[in-house]
Amino acid sequence: MESSESTSSAPETKREKTLVVQNKMGIHARPAAMIVRAANKFQSEIFFEKDQELVNGKSIMGLMMLAAGSGSKLKAVAEGDDSEDLLRELEELFERKFDEP
Amino acid sequence: MHSPVKKPALINVGQFFERHGAKLKLELLACEDGLSRPIREGSVNRPALALTGFFKFFSNKCIQVLGAAEMTYLRSFDCEKQYQILRELVKRAVPCIVLSRNYVLNPALRRVAEENHLPVLRTSMITKHFINMATVALEYEFAPMTVEHGTLMDIQGVGTLLQGKSGVGKSECALALIERNHSLVADDLTYVSLINERELVGRSSELNRGYMECRGIGIIDVASMFGIRSVRLEKRIDLVVKFVEWEPGMEEDRTGLEQNHYEILGLKVPFSEIPVRPGRDLCRLVEVASMVESLKRMGHNPAEEFNERLIAHMARQASVREKPDRTR
Repeated sequence: MESSESTSSAPETKREKTLVVQNKMGIHARPAAMIVRAANKFQSEIFFEKDQELVNGKSIMGLMMLAAGSGSKLKAVAEGDDSEDLLRELEELFERKFDEP
Repeated sequence: MHSPVKKPALINVGQFFERHGAKLKLELLACEDGLSRPIREGSVNRPALALTGFFKFFSNKCIQVLGAAEMTYLRSFDCEKQYQILRELVKRAVPCIVLSRNYVLNPALRRVAEENHLPVLRTSMITKHFINMATVALEYEFAPMTVEHGTLMDIQGVGTLLQGKSGVGKSECALALIERNHSLVADDLTYVSLINERELVGRSSELNRGYMECRGIGIIDVASMFGIRSVRLEKRIDLVVKFVEWEPGMEEDRTGLEQNHYEILGLKVPFSEIPVRPGRDLCRLVEVASMVESLKRMGHNPAEEFNERLIAHMARQASVREKPDRTR
């Protein structure tokens, strides 16, 4: 973080995954809360990117402000020791459509 | 977690007279020795039908009020007949008789009362007003009661019960709220009554009213330090806020979409849990929680309204995206 070298050398704990919003209503308050709750279980940092907008995945307001409707694609970027587990859990959550239609 | 429900203790005629006599303008006309008779039902009965000899469904456990109708009916008989009629009534173990409108204690009633050690009271009120006021007074006496561990505050009209383990900062929060012109109802122990099966009213014990305990300082007198506005005798409980110590990974309510409840005496009260972390201004948070509750009572739900805006916005975006597809 401190030196520019370490970021350029692409630390192996940084992972990316593209997630598709599959529930009908998109990421409104309830799914956003589920994502934040899931993300908070992990130490890793998590960011979501959509249409050049980048928000912290542990911020509920940020997630909602993405206004990610049904069908939209989010790039999830996780960085940290448990980033792999975090992404897996998020993927599962998106696949489950946040337990919604 | 819940304190047991205390069944309201039966009150006797003497206690009723003592507690509510002045307000109900009551005077004792006969048979002081009958004041220990219990009032077994918290309402008031006009025994007009019973005087005619009809005793099915006679509410003998209630205070019996003789008003204009009853007294005029009795007056249509001679003294001996009046005595017989009243004796039938009193035989059924009524707690006491109240004469409204300052009616004179007639010889027949005096005789029955003395023979049966039945207290006779009199009020200057008209019957309707006496019945209304006495019913309200009895409703309070007979209300189911319980004790909740928590500090009850009146926050701009929203009765908020602060709960949490001892030492979590309830009293400090209450003090901060008092400094912001809210009022203290009860510190640490709140006596709750269920009124008319639809409203929870909390109060402190008479003994520690206006006092609270502050760690490191001791007992303080709230009213004399912050003024009489800072204390309140009783308040309806609208919201329960529980302080919980924050732990990593604990589930916090982030949206406010789901309304949790806390049950007191079978009634559900809106409930929020506030995680306590160093640096969080609990007083501010409680104040805001009460204001949100106030808004909800007026029909505004900020969390729902915000979410509806967001969903509508996403739906609009989706329709804009779809349109060019169709024209293609």
